[in-house]
Amino acid sequence: MSRELHFDTLVVGGGIAGLQTALDLADQNYQVAVIEKDATIGGKMIRLSKVFPTLDCASCITTPKMAASAHHENITLFTYCNLKSLDRDSPESVTATVTQKPRYVDPDKCIGCRQCEYGCPVYVPDEEQGNFNLRKAVHIPFSNAIPQIAVLDMENCSLCGKCARVCPTDAIDYFEQPEDFIIHAKTAVLATGFELTPIDQKPEYNGGKVQNLITSMEMERLLAPHGPYMRVIRPSDGKEPDSIAYVQCAGSRDKTLNVPYCSRVCCMYAIKQAMLLSGALPLADITIYYMDIRAFGKGYEQFYQNAKAMGIEFVKGKIAKIEQADNQYVSLRYEAQEDGGRVVEREHDLVVLSLGMVPGWTPQGVCQVSCDTDRFIKSSMPQIAPTVTDMEGVFVAGVAAGPKDIVDTIAEAGAAAMEASKYMTALGKQKAA
Amino acid sequence: MSDKKKQADKEAMKILRQQRKQSIDRVRGAIKSQNKDIKSIKDALKDGGKTVPEITAATKMPSSRVMVFVATLKKYGMVAEGPKDGDYFKYELIDA
Repeated sequence: MSRELHFDTLVVGGGIAGLQTALDLADQNYQVAVIEKDATIGGKMIRLSKVFPTLDCASCITTPKMAASAHHENITLFTYCNLKSLDRDSPESVTATVTQKPRYVDPDKCIGCRQCEYGCPVYVPDEEQGNFNLRKAVHIPFSNAIPQIAVLDMENCSLCGKCARVCPTDAIDYFEQPEDFIIHAKTAVLATGFELTPIDQKPEYNGGKVQNLITSMEMERLLAPHGPYMRVIRPSDGKEPDSIAYVQCAGSRDKTLNVPYCSRVCCMYAIKQAMLLSGALPLADITIYYMDIRAFGKGYEQFYQNAKAMGIEFVKGKIAKIEQADNQYVSLRYEAQEDGGRVVEREHDLVVLSLGMVPGWTPQGVCQVSCDTDRFIKSSMPQIAPTVTDMEGVFVAGVAAGPKDIVDTIAEAGAAAMEASKYMTALGKQKAA
Repeated sequence: MSDKKKQADKEAMKILRQQRKQSIDRVRGAIKSQNKDIKSIKDALKDGGKTVPEITAATKMPSSRVMVFVATLKKYGMVAEGPKDGDYFKYELIDA
């Protein structure tokens, strides 16, 4: 028999949208459950270096919200969980079946000391660091992860027993099994975020299999203070790059990838990264190859102009081909649109693909909420109430509804919390009547 | 822990290891090859700091693999970044 828990609102996703929604509801005294698929909350934002256009440290903004959610008396976090189903039983209740994935570490016993991690003999590519370095099979995801509880990657465990022997609290449990539990709530908010478009889909870009061709998220890790090298160097050989290029619209506005829409953030994050690189590597040449620059938000145009004034080169031209050149350089071929349309080939030390956003989760087979033609969750009143979906009492926040930046995500999370609060107030009034 | 409980845990681990034999064999193979690569890199650094291309030349490993291991050894406190040599940084053994 699965254990059953009762809350006012279930928030699906523990990224910045989900956490802001949870905090806004919890501060109004609603009991909120947040379920997160990863072993830590924080979503994509905690993995970024800085944010545009202010260049504030992303971790300095996200960590307080993560800590506030973890310590809020009205919020319960369920990390390392999958949503199996979400159904509305009546106007007063949604029921979710959630699977707790096994961590093989007892969260009540683990004190986050990392003795298990230091003792473990198995090295595994660290996906949190763009696979640029290795982690251990048992590990804490990253230094500011919340909760600070280890997770054992059973697929890469040799069952040697070292972690269990060194654990001071006997927290390792090799026999843990997935466990389902039920959450009943009055409302739900879907804040399931995004993934980047895959790097390997374009044959023109050699399927991404070119040394020193990296994704924009990987560059975020190279720029982050807790990054894999703690500086920007070439992943192939550790060379400090003299020349770095950005390929814009590498995964968006591209019908061949079934991503015909603009992902709205790539121009700005490329400019942000270029500015940070200018600071980190003052002698490096930085070039952004673009179709057109979309600097639409408050202060964004000025940010773009500042980047140009700093000496970052903007070249109008869609990259047609990416190949490996000698000495581990990356060769780019393009039509120089502002130079008579001639075909140009240039080589760079390091090339970053500005990949677009695709939905991080699909409701298909899990809940009845509809998706739009772009596969993001459909808003039933996009002009006047963008967080309302076609499933009663189920709302959407952040990139789950479509590509947007952090500012718009946080604003929308607040709106989703308000819609959920309004829905629950109406339920209360109906009951009283 | 009672002797009876210890014995039961031991038996349960034995069964689990049998069930996961295939993945355990794969992981053990990976550990062997990783340990060999780490030893080669540490040996190359024994006589002083080296850049990644220099370690690559000394170990005959692909430079991207050397880079991954150097970054990992740095993370776990076995290697430190030294002075710059041209476009590259030197890496030094911490206990050397």
